[in-house]
Amino acid sequence: MFPKLDPILHSELRLAVMSILADVESAEFSYLRKQTNSTAGNLSVQIDKLSAAGYITVEKGFKGKMPCTTCKITPEGIEAFNNYVNALKEYISL
Amino acid sequence: MEKNNEQNKEMTAQESLSLISEMLNNSRRIILQNNAKHFMLWGILLTVTSLAIYELWHITGNPIWNCAWFAMPALGFPIVRILDRKNSDVPQNVINKQLGLIWLTYCIFAVTISVIAMLVVPMNISLVIAVLLGFAECISGFLLKNWAITIGGFILGIGGAVATSMIYNEAQLLIFTLGGIILVVTGLIIKFQYK
Repeated sequence: MFPKLDPILHSELRLAVMSILADVESAEFSYLRKQTNSTAGNLSVQIDKLSAAGYITVEKGFKGKMPCTTCKITPEGIEAFNNYVNALKEYISL
Repeated sequence: MEKNNEQNKEMTAQESLSLISEMLNNSRRIILQNNAKHFMLWGILLTVTSLAIYELWHITGNPIWNCAWFAMPALGFPIVRILDRKNSDVPQNVINKQLGLIWLTYCIFAVTISVIAMLVVPMNISLVIAVLLGFAECISGFLLKNWAITIGGFILGIGGAVATSMIYNEAQLLIFTLGGIILVVTGLIIKFQYK
């Protein structure tokens, strides 16, 4: 019996964002955009979905005079990400 | 639109694992490349400062020039700030944060012991600083899983302790020139390791 893959994470851009956030304290929107090579609109939508699922927190602030959005993975996000990776490994080994 | 659809598609298990690995590696590479600049900057500052003090002490015969060591952090930290401002969106990860803490601790110990040695209890300050420098470099090597950096730190710490007990006065400063070169090489190793 295959473990069910988390539908929130099983999307390329959301998974890319979670992979980056799993390794860092927090990351700015501009960094995520550069790393994932995505459009601002699409990234914003996917970040909202991850935030709604409780996997990341999004903090909007300012850096000097420029608006700055910072994303951080939550403990629930880390758990979901680990479960997702373990499920993938099972898929591949079977 | 096509780019959006492409990025929102579902993937196979193998594609997902490849993507995770690619994102993690790319992010780590960028974060640690930022650290490489710090090693090179402090290495250059250490080399230049030690050679300048060596030369001034050698010419004048006056060890008061050792006070110029305090110019190093005073000059280094603002340059680090300027360098970091250029990459201000690069985040911190565990390795990068621990490296920062190790070297900040080294700096606090080195400055405090130097002040105590100058004002309270005279001691072989070069020996203490060389051991601290080698120790910090050695731990950095372990953190970065790089044996060349670890061995460099060991040579610097142990070799520096032995050398500072055998040579005296301004000649001791050349150990820090070697330390500076090791720091620059460390920066280059990180730069190429995470290219």
